[in-house]
Amino acid sequence: MAPTPNGKVAAVKKKINLWAWFWILLGALYFLVPLYGTFDFSLREKRGVLSLLAYQNVLADPRFRDSFTYSALMALATIVVGLLLIVPTAYWVHLRLPQVRPLIEFITLMPFVVPAIVLVFGLIRIYSGPPLALTNSDPLTNFLLMCGYVILSMPYTYRSVDTGLRAIDVRTLTEAAQSLGAGWFTILFRIIFPNIRAALLSGAFLTFAIVIGEFTLASLLGRPAFGPYLVYMGNNRAYEPAALAIISLALTWAAIGLIQLLSHGRPGQEQVGGVH
Amino acid sequence: MAFLELTNIRKQFGQAVAVEDFNLKVDRGEFVSFLGPSGCGKTTTLRMIAGFEIPTVGRVAVDNVDITDKAPNQRNVGMVFQSYALFPNMTVAQNIGFGLRIRRESESAIKERVDEMLALIHLEQKGPSYPSQLSGGQQQRVALARALAIRPQVLLLDEPLSALDAKIRVSLRAEIRAIQRKLGITAIYVTHDQEEALSISDRIVVMSQGHMEQVGTPFEIYNFPQTAFVASFVGTLNTTTAEVVDSARGVLQIDGARLETAEKLDGRQKGDKVTIAIRPERFSFASEQKKANVVDCRIENITFLGSIVRIQVSIGSGKYYMDTFNNPFLELPKIGDKDQVTCSREAVLVLKS
Ligand SMILES: Nc1ncnc2c1ncn2[C@@H]1O[C@H](COP(=O)(O)OP(=O)(O)O)[C@@H](O)[C@H]1O
Ligand SMILES: [Mg+2]
Repeated sequence: MAPTPNGKVAAVKKKINLWAWFWILLGALYFLVPLYGTFDFSLREKRGVLSLLAYQNVLADPRFRDSFTYSALMALATIVVGLLLIVPTAYWVHLRLPQVRPLIEFITLMPFVVPAIVLVFGLIRIYSGPPLALTNSDPLTNFLLMCGYVILSMPYTYRSVDTGLRAIDVRTLTEAAQSLGAGWFTILFRIIFPNIRAALLSGAFLTFAIVIGEFTLASLLGRPAFGPYLVYMGNNRAYEPAALAIISLALTWAAIGLIQLLSHGRPGQEQVGGVH
Repeated sequence: MAFLELTNIRKQFGQAVAVEDFNLKVDRGEFVSFLGPSGCGKTTTLRMIAGFEIPTVGRVAVDNVDITDKAPNQRNVGMVFQSYALFPNMTVAQNIGFGLRIRRESESAIKERVDEMLALIHLEQKGPSYPSQLSGGQQQRVALARALAIRPQVLLLDEPLSALDAKIRVSLRAEIRAIQRKLGITAIYVTHDQEEALSISDRIVVMSQGHMEQVGTPFEIYNFPQTAFVASFVGTLNTTTAEVVDSARGVLQIDGARLETAEKLDGRQKGDKVTIAIRPERFSFASEQKKANVVDCRIENITFLGSIVRIQVSIGSGKYYMDTFNNPFLELPKIGDKDQVTCSREAVLVLKS
């Protein structure tokens, strides 16, 4: 058979496919090799044999369980408060103040510019004395820490929410709901939130991942969070930190999976944007 | 007493005037269209009825209640959008029931009403489907049902068919009109499509650059356009400038050809220029018995449009369209032929500006 132009195209396509696979493999190795190294190391606490001793030690440590639970709860609180603050704001900007969007975007980028260490010293300076002495009691310090987390996660949450809002016709959906008698609360919770759910989820994942590993704020505010615990272990043990890294990775993924599972609760919603 | 009343409405966005001098009374159960080119203020006027815009000046009243400053969700007005605007996260049934749920009606009452609406739009089977699973035409029917479910006082439709295929546009507009008649609901319909407005409306408001050009039945708008704008926007029309020869007897002249009009030329002097308009279908080839308004012409072009044959003729230096019914047993003239065309005195319309 004579080589046709089509045949050539197919050959080129195949080549491109091979290259694509090559890069994917390279990327995967970049992430997986260190992970495997850590995993392998974590199994070698007993000399000469592979064992789960390091894992047993970690799991037996009550500080591990307590600090992870603490950070997971902080992450959930951060997600809820962050979304309740950012979704209505981003929605209102989309609906009524599109011209201030660049300004809002700039503000949400501040956590990238101001390092966490500066943020926490600012918080401590302002809130450790009157009139708002929050650092004097644990619950209030927890609250302060959560507020710090909301700020840290803002760039990610805002960007996800903004992308979600761009994907729907915010203005027309709002007007349709208004003409049917809906007020702002109903519009936000029955129309806007459900229709940007995927965006909310990705914002929530990122927030969760950030809060779970966060060290600076928690440490300087003296809260028993997971980040400081990780650092403490890293400084004092050899094999356990490796086991801890693997466990926290697994737990983070499990928690993210759980969020996804919970928010998939309403039947039928997965079909949105499906069959035409 | 009119059911929906727009009095002396004016709307400005900053310095730009979007609508002005808008006065309209709509009777209960009437179907009124706003017709005009893009940007002439149709949507803005509709949005003032819905409450999404507040008039700069003027008032909006429904059933003798002033609603000018009422919030949109406090009015009882149904709205259908060009983009359907169905809630993607809800099923068809939930979409239709949304307004009733907000009104805290009982679940059984909601279900009954939703079923009734689904039957009205002939989508009985689609209650559990999601909007994304429906065609555009079906989605717009659901949007209509959703707007009607709350038993609104007025139904507003903003170019509801513009996003649909030509075939569906025609069938759905008939369906919208049938449903509107059946329910006896007062409806305002915005469109830039003159054929749509003519076919669907009790009355048409022709708009241009923020003001009303003419209000009338489709029959009046088409046959007796009062301004050059209406004449040119609605249907095909020949317009030209004519010179007054004898204002008392209605005699005009165009390019040396003599035309008589049945319209009054009060206040015009001999030699004044007026704009006249003649619909293509009012022209015909002159037969011997006719004496008035017979003019010499030359056949310039012939276009076959199916049931109609459109012939372009030149009278003097001006070119005019003439429509005749397609008759397979009648021979058509040839391009370049000399002939005579005529029209009745009533067909010669004198426009206001
Ligand atoms: N929110 C707004 N801000 C500023 N100008 C507007 C706004 N809405 C409409 N306009 C202007 O008002 C005029 C009428 O618009 P619109 O009512 O949408 O016209 P139509 O529906 O007939 O196409 C247009 O010139 C448009 O640019
Ligand atoms: Mg419009």
